[in-house]
Amino acid sequence: MNEFSPHVVLPLLVWGTLVGLDLVSVPQAMISRPLVAGTVAGWLVGDAEAGLRIGVLFELFALDVLPVGAVRYPDYGPATVAAVALGAGAPWELGLGLSVALGLVLAVLGGWSLQIVRRWNARAIQRRAAALAAGESSAIRRLQYGALLRDAARGFILTLLGIVLASTIKDMVGLDRQTAVALTLVAIGSALAAAVSGAFRGSGRSSRLKWLLAGAGVGVLLAALA
Amino acid sequence: MTGQLRALLRLFAVQGTWNYERMLGVGMGYAAEPLLEDLKAVDPVRHGEAVVRSAEFFNCNPNLAGLALGATARAEYEALPGAQIVRLRTALCSPLGAMGDELFWAGLVPALVGAALVGVVLGAGWWAIAGFILIYNGIRLWTSYWSLRTGMESGMRVGAAIGASWLPRAIERIGPASAFAIGAAIPVVAAWYLKPFGFSAGIGAAGVVMAGIALTRWFAPFLTTVRFALAAMIFLLVLRRVGV
Repeated sequence: MNEFSPHVVLPLLVWGTLVGLDLVSVPQAMISRPLVAGTVAGWLVGDAEAGLRIGVLFELFALDVLPVGAVRYPDYGPATVAAVALGAGAPWELGLGLSVALGLVLAVLGGWSLQIVRRWNARAIQRRAAALAAGESSAIRRLQYGALLRDAARGFILTLLGIVLASTIKDMVGLDRQTAVALTLVAIGSALAAAVSGAFRGSGRSSRLKWLLAGAGVGVLLAALA
Repeated sequence: MTGQLRALLRLFAVQGTWNYERMLGVGMGYAAEPLLEDLKAVDPVRHGEAVVRSAEFFNCNPNLAGLALGATARAEYEALPGAQIVRLRTALCSPLGAMGDELFWAGLVPALVGAALVGVVLGAGWWAIAGFILIYNGIRLWTSYWSLRTGMESGMRVGAAIGASWLPRAIERIGPASAFAIGAAIPVVAAWYLKPFGFSAGIGAAGVVMAGIALTRWFAPFLTTVRFALAAMIFLLVLRRVGV
């Protein structure tokens, strides 16, 4: 993608908003997984290879996240969409590092914005406490739609901010080839570290660990043959 | 559209109003509304009380929320004491949370993601991603339908119904599958990224991997993998700036 024209930015904004909503609110169909969010974003900007490469890398980071209970975690969906907007059009070996850096910052911001939305939801509930205590179904519906709207706005703003930052970085930041490659290698190494850490934490010392190691053996074999 | 179907559809937004006070509570109330509609004509007072209870604190895995929703809705129609329904709801939080998280977030999702990653790298591309989305959503849709139906059928005996169902066995089986899939995906993906850079770059990246695993383990929970990645990138840029 050479320029951020409206016919590219608008679909990205819509996609980023949907992806942001999907993480927690609705429908949790896994379109917010970076693998999916990135690949579709790549297709939207006309660089499927960049979308896939960036999506897979963020998926490795996401494997370190177990979204149970009230745990706080980064939001990789809109972050991946913005990272693809930045990385598209450049050879992935050179563009991946900077895209991942932008995406990680946005993912942290996304996780933080999720906490804000949750606090706003709580405040909205407190405001309608009397109606809830009176058993008014309409109050429940209004709370639900209001919360969905807040989360959609969160996804939209995150994606917009990401695209603005991507555009600015594209215009203003120029890395020499050696630095760009080194940044890409650090990004790949960090993502693999996240995936390995998550895999070992998920397996513990139970029989899952044996299956993890067996899978790794098969993976090494496949990698050698591929 | 029947009340059950509307409730099933609304369950997909059960986390819509997620917050730290009632957690899924309001989302459950939203999903319960179509199920409780018939109660309004029969017993308006009871209906009002049931609506209040339906939106109170609740938390569990969203994909199994239908079990609690169906069971409590049935209990409301059976005119069981309100305190008993509240106890049932509270008692279901932990088991449905633990089972659902184990089955979906620690099992099915990593298993399918791992398989999709291997598929993408081996050339399946869009098919691998479409397969992931279709299989996950197929299983999840069926689980939600089963949860709501089982909850409605079993009411206060929902605990026994869960124990006798496919859920405990599925959880036992999905764990090894997810570990195997993720184990296979990591080396395949690593080779996919690192092969074009050559051997010495691969050694450098392996160094970052080792440092990342060790440092995030030693300095947890402060040093997350994301913070490590950002710190490593900043460190690299500083080094390059000073001419190293």
